[in-house]
Amino acid sequence: MPYLFAAFSVVWIVIFLYALSISRRQQELSREVETLRRMTEEKTNTESS
Amino acid sequence: MWAILWKDLLLELRTKERVSSLLVLALLIILVFVFALTPEQLHQPAFGSALLWVALVFAGMLSIQRAFILEQERNCFAGLLLCPIDPGQVFFAKFLSNVCFLAIVEAVVAPLTLALLGLPFSVSLLGLPLVLLCGIVGFSALGTLCAAIAVRTRAREIILPLMLLPLLVPLFIAAVNVTGALLAGEVWTGTWFRILIAFDVIFVVTGWLAFGFVVQE
Amino acid sequence: MKTVTTHSGLVDSFLPWLTCVAMLAALAMVFLYVPNERVQGEVQRIFYFHLPSAWMAFLGFFIVAGASAAFLWQGKRSADLLARAAAELGMVFCSLVLLTGPLWARPIWGVWWTWDPRLTMTLVLWLIYAAYVLLRVFAGDTETVARYAAVLGIVGVIDIPLIYISIRLWRGIHPKVEQMAPEMAWTLLVCTGAFVCVFTWLLRLRVRSLHLHDEIRALRQHVVAAS
Repeated sequence: MPYLFAAFSVVWIVIFLYALSISRRQQELSREVETLRRMTEEKTNTESS
Repeated sequence: MWAILWKDLLLELRTKERVSSLLVLALLIILVFVFALTPEQLHQPAFGSALLWVALVFAGMLSIQRAFILEQERNCFAGLLLCPIDPGQVFFAKFLSNVCFLAIVEAVVAPLTLALLGLPFSVSLLGLPLVLLCGIVGFSALGTLCAAIAVRTRAREIILPLMLLPLLVPLFIAAVNVTGALLAGEVWTGTWFRILIAFDVIFVVTGWLAFGFVVQE
Repeated sequence: MKTVTTHSGLVDSFLPWLTCVAMLAALAMVFLYVPNERVQGEVQRIFYFHLPSAWMAFLGFFIVAGASAAFLWQGKRSADLLARAAAELGMVFCSLVLLTGPLWARPIWGVWWTWDPRLTMTLVLWLIYAAYVLLRVFAGDTETVARYAAVLGIVGVIDIPLIYISIRLWRGIHPKVEQMAPEMAWTLLVCTGAFVCVFTWLLRLRVRSLHLHDEIRALRQHVVAAS
């Protein structure tokens, strides 16, 4: 029984960790989008002023 | 193609650095294993063949890497690719020069290993060179392709064995088994030998076809 | 500039739920429905997650090879990204096989590992995946590297039959033909379905994130060039 438990936990942990890594990379990407947006906004501001 | 092959061989003929260093390295690998094993283990044909191939694979990997690092360092590869020749021919040139070097190295190392381990020479006068050559051909074909990939990445020293060794598994198993049977004086031209030949054919063709994708800029 | 592919928004909104339902059903069947195996007892239930993982690892490998071939043939960036995502997932599932395998072997055979042909095959497969993923990591993200990786992916798949034959011969053949009770077959089927869902879902997520990464890089170049 402990082996059964261990095996299933391992499956979930690995899949969870992978999902976590995807979401972390996704967050990095959204941060980058944010910086890009700010850059473009600054640019349009300086152009209009 | 012959010109490139000739250039590689000539370079080696002048400096002799690759073959000589490989020779010493292969002997050192064998020495390390001899120290690691007990005398009883050493006299078994199976260990003799395993030792031969371990030494060949590791020495061969450095040899192939060397070939491409030299080209890369002096930026010769770009020049080579500017020539109006088929990349498949570049592959064959590199592949054949490697086969030559490794064959020369094995011509010295294999008899020495047999002598050091006290294994009989008589059974294997024709078979052993043939089997070694088959192994070297398969190894060089796959190795040339992988080294051409590895040499232009960061950490090329580590990425080549990482790519090459798992792909070499069938070659290694087959070669060790054929050689083991050979040294034990058994029939060696069975299934294992056929797997070895199949590996050679498949990866010479694959290397020839795929090399174009690897070297184009 | 390329836009994120949204042609199958329906699938994307539907898939997470489907995955959840399939996974719950799979778990329920494994723990509540299927009877104990006569000889091995309850530990045998690992099998229902172990085997689908192995199948997904193989599936990943074939997707890598197919996408690599398509990439070399047509040079489409999306094929390359698909190969990359599939390799990562293949490695994840291959790791699952290698982790659940010993946990099953230990109580049944008394050892963590045997050089059984299938186990050995999985290990070699894992190593090839690892080389592929590391090549991507070490070599960066350029057109050239994409081609290298594609060549490696195809060479790997060409090598599989040879590896398989040689490993089978190496340790003899373990015939494992066993009659499966219908409950077991059904449970295995549902589990496989659940794993296909998880695989597809994660694959799509990863591919989308890679596309997004591409797009952001293009945007950044655009912005930097403009300012």
